[in-house]
Amino acid sequence: MPKHTTNPAKPSSIFSILKPYKGLVSLLILFALLGNGLNLLLPKIIANGIDSYTHGHFNFKTIITQFAGATLLVFIFTYLQTIIQTYTSERVARDLRTRLADKISLHSYADIEKANPAKLLTNLTADVDSIKMFVSQAVVSIASSLFIIIGASILLLSINWKLALCVMAIIPVIGITFFVVLKKVRALFKKSREIIDWLNKVISESILGSALIRVVNSQQLEYEKFLQANVQAKTLGLSILKLFAGLIPVIVFTANMAGLTILALGGHFVITGRMSLGDFAAFNSYLAMLIFPILVIGFMSNVIAQASASYQRIGMVLDAPAAINAGNIKAVLTGHIQLSGVTLLYGQKPVLKDIYLHINAGSRMAVIGPTAAGKTQLLYLLTGLIKPTEGSIEFDGHRIDEYEQENFYKQVGFVFQDSIIFNMSIRENIAFSNTVTDASLEKAIATAELRDFINNLPEGLNTVVSERGSSLSGGQKQRIMLARALAVEPKVLLLDDFTARVDQQTEKKILFNIQQNYPDLTLISVTQKIAAVEQYDQIVLLTQGEIVASGKHADLMKTSADYVQIFNSQQTTGNYELQS
Amino acid sequence: MNYNLNQLSAQQQKSSAYKAVKKLLQLIAHEKRNLLLAFIAIITNSLLQLLGPLLIGHAIDAYITTKQYRGVLITSGILLGMYLLALVTSYLQTKLMGSVGQRTLFTLRNTLFNKLQELPVAFFNQNKAGDLISRLNNDTDKINQFFSQSLMQFIGSIVTMLGAGIFLLIINVKLGAATLIPALLILFFTMIVSPWVKRKNAVNLKSIGGLSAEIQESLNNFRVIIAFNRRDYFRKRFHEANQHNYTTAIGAGMANNIFLPVYGLFSSMAQLVILTLGIYLIASHQFTIGLLVSYLAYATNFYNPLRQLASLWTSFQVAMAGWDRISQILSLESNLNPVPEQKKMAATSALLSFRDVSFAYPDGKEILHHINLNLEAGKTYALVGPTGGGKTTTASLIARLYDPTMGTVLLKGHDIRSYTATERTRKIGFIMQEPFLFTGTVKDNLLYGNEEYSGTDKVHLEQAIQETHLQKLLALFEHGLDTPVTSGESISLGQKQLIAFMRAVLRKPDILILDEATANIDTVTEQLLSEILNQLPATTTRVIIAHRLNTIENADEIYFVNSGNVIRAGSLDHAVSMLLQDNRTS
Repeated sequence: MPKHTTNPAKPSSIFSILKPYKGLVSLLILFALLGNGLNLLLPKIIANGIDSYTHGHFNFKTIITQFAGATLLVFIFTYLQTIIQTYTSERVARDLRTRLADKISLHSYADIEKANPAKLLTNLTADVDSIKMFVSQAVVSIASSLFIIIGASILLLSINWKLALCVMAIIPVIGITFFVVLKKVRALFKKSREIIDWLNKVISESILGSALIRVVNSQQLEYEKFLQANVQAKTLGLSILKLFAGLIPVIVFTANMAGLTILALGGHFVITGRMSLGDFAAFNSYLAMLIFPILVIGFMSNVIAQASASYQRIGMVLDAPAAINAGNIKAVLTGHIQLSGVTLLYGQKPVLKDIYLHINAGSRMAVIGPTAAGKTQLLYLLTGLIKPTEGSIEFDGHRIDEYEQENFYKQVGFVFQDSIIFNMSIRENIAFSNTVTDASLEKAIATAELRDFINNLPEGLNTVVSERGSSLSGGQKQRIMLARALAVEPKVLLLDDFTARVDQQTEKKILFNIQQNYPDLTLISVTQKIAAVEQYDQIVLLTQGEIVASGKHADLMKTSADYVQIFNSQQTTGNYELQS
Repeated sequence: MNYNLNQLSAQQQKSSAYKAVKKLLQLIAHEKRNLLLAFIAIITNSLLQLLGPLLIGHAIDAYITTKQYRGVLITSGILLGMYLLALVTSYLQTKLMGSVGQRTLFTLRNTLFNKLQELPVAFFNQNKAGDLISRLNNDTDKINQFFSQSLMQFIGSIVTMLGAGIFLLIINVKLGAATLIPALLILFFTMIVSPWVKRKNAVNLKSIGGLSAEIQESLNNFRVIIAFNRRDYFRKRFHEANQHNYTTAIGAGMANNIFLPVYGLFSSMAQLVILTLGIYLIASHQFTIGLLVSYLAYATNFYNPLRQLASLWTSFQVAMAGWDRISQILSLESNLNPVPEQKKMAATSALLSFRDVSFAYPDGKEILHHINLNLEAGKTYALVGPTGGGKTTTASLIARLYDPTMGTVLLKGHDIRSYTATERTRKIGFIMQEPFLFTGTVKDNLLYGNEEYSGTDKVHLEQAIQETHLQKLLALFEHGLDTPVTSGESISLGQKQLIAFMRAVLRKPDILILDEATANIDTVTEQLLSEILNQLPATTTRVIIAHRLNTIENADEIYFVNSGNVIRAGSLDHAVSMLLQDNRTS
């Protein structure tokens, strides 16, 4: 992989992307040049034919063999060229996507949220596509166009240098036109990608929120949002179009002027006997040859402009520093956790303030507190999904980033509050990798009380569930999430309001199962229900980012008025809880 | 009804093809004038380009060989005028055609998005978000590329070709006919190869959709990937999709690139024919050198656009494959449109009732069996039962997110299907298990889709919030109405549920369904919510689905939902004992 300039002010040129594919690109250009070189010979053969006829020694056989031979070779070379072209461009696209995905996979959670998934989607699709287009079309076209332009120019010069110079005067004129127009276009392309991000976002929200939209009948509103983005896209498209609509006619006109010069000046030369009629014909043919590549470069500059804009955007992702810290501790966790002075800021807003917590190995701790108290963020901190702004979090006396990531995550299981189900089989959703053993999987399924549910499915564990898990009930999803966390045989299990969607009886069973099947587990559970955690070793009451009380249930009932208030709010049905 | 775009039946596909073409024509129908002007510009431009070589050929024969330089200069003057005219027409053709393309893309995306909005929830459950986004963006753009770039060149090339072909035949029939034979071969070749090319591209576009779906799914759930250290798994899954896309793209690329070399070969053959046959004709005094020079130019004028057509044809095939994917969406019809009431139902005093309702998802298993249910105005109903028992499905049927497979749901004594969406959604509020927020502020989300308060100023809105007793909940947000929120993870699930709750209450529905709507809200705040629910207008019916029993203790009636059956529980105690004893899972 080529090393990329990390200086964003000076992005590497789009051509640098070709470096690792030198061999293929050289081969590609070689075939293109061979094909085009031979193509240049064709008018010469014809001119020779005409001239030899006027001189009376015309030979059909020679002409036909020469011409047919050249034609056949052109065909072979062009065909080889297109094959390599496809192969190279697709490989560049594939490798670029792989590099992007590898890079993204090293991102931290915060990076992804900041980078915005909708934009990353554009990076991986539309942006890569425009670079692919650059490789598949621009590279060859420009190489062979330049070759034809240079070749045709040399041939023109060798026939009649005065006339040739007049004709070639069009090249700088065209060059300058391109330069001016493209400079404007490039800025517009960059903007148009941003609008595509916007469109993606509107579409994506309208899809993810489709149920809500139908419940409140707000389809029209969504349409208006979309319309706004789409109008922008159209306006921008039209301004890009306007620039190109002007560019191409100017170039054609300039080229036509060259044709005119040949007629007027070349005609004069022929009349005055300084040029042969065959050469005059060849001049016309070469001009026709010259115009096409110039036009091609014009079109390709469009492609290059788009690809450069895309490459710049992709470069920003590729050049972003990786979030992974190379910790190397591979020790087995005991589950002893220490938080010292942990503060977390979101922008200016403190989410957690100066938290001190001590969790003993193998103990059970509950975190309760009102909505938006920072409970989920506390769990995110414990998994290293986010990093504290201040303070330290230590497992067995070492900070999270001192641990080797794989080793750490293998020992920490996390059940998220909202259900995240992938469009894969239930087995993959739970095992989430091929390394989980069947025994661990079985144990996790049994513990999460999923056995009966899975047995009743037509294809059992291999049943594929849909994206967003819409074919499953809320409780089923939550239990699959639990099984997923347990399947890694964790030493520390973090539950984020896990039982909110599971009925009480099942909840009891599951909590019992966990204790039974994973006896050494350190359990940290964010919950709303005091009844379920009364027996825990430690209960922490979190309010607005601060620990307002902590201790065992009995102590808190005596010391914390807030805790008693929460307890009382749950007491009206307490008798039913006790029955079970 | 099957809404899975990747598994549409042949019947659905077939009807879609016909409708699709009709739709496409409708999309550009209003552009008639612009299209006409563009055609005129294209044809003029092509003719001007054709006349050039003719004039030059004439100048060679008439003036250069006879050494009359004045004639050469006059011809040059005429040419200059023509080239200036061509400057204008070629600007116009790009401008006009490109604008049509851009506007068509615009209309197409709008139509598609609109269609997406018409389709029911079932459609979204059966298709992946990433694939849909790919269809809306990538596939429409393929059509745009064809319209704004290729179509113009396409027409221009065909006109130039036709003109050149006619000139070839006029100048010399025999030579012309011989010159055009390779073109005929090209035509055959194209006809044979095209379906294959289109198929290859369709496969590729599908894999692009798959890739996009994979990315979308992974990126939106990145937390899980990190927390379970499955970065490698993400990479592996992505590589699989990427590799698959690579394979299909190579297939499509190989197919797309077949045209160019073949077209090149045939056009060189044509030149050879002209040269040998032409010289033979000159030798037999049926032809002149000057004509041969312009003849070669016309042959170039004929075969160069043909070579261009090769790549244009490819882009046409790609666009058609994209269009197929788009029209798959356009061909779908919502099965939830209002339908006139079939037969008069027995009068009922209930606000909402289920009459022998059964329901099954398209993938088969029946979720609800023969449910009968009456909900009276102003009462509170609780649905309890084990997970997966059918509670959410029951609620979804009340909100008509789906229609029952059998039986009828009655709203105020009329088939719920006979109400328009506006009437229905005004009467029924539904707070769903998974709250969804749009990026914006709390205010944006509270008023989302609320006609009554759209455009209301802050004072009136705060008044409305007071009236519905929501002010205490709103106070939980740091900046009140102006607190920014996103559709992502920046806000806690409990807070999302609070906003969803306020949103539904502000709409003042006749029936308010809460499906685990407060599950992640702390019990103290939850008491606040029950107070608000108690203060709803006396006629409002509440349907509460919850696991936490304290949320349902005030219910007038409790239904126990399990294994697709809905049983009325005599009391809370009865419900609890059923919950504890009944161990059937569904």
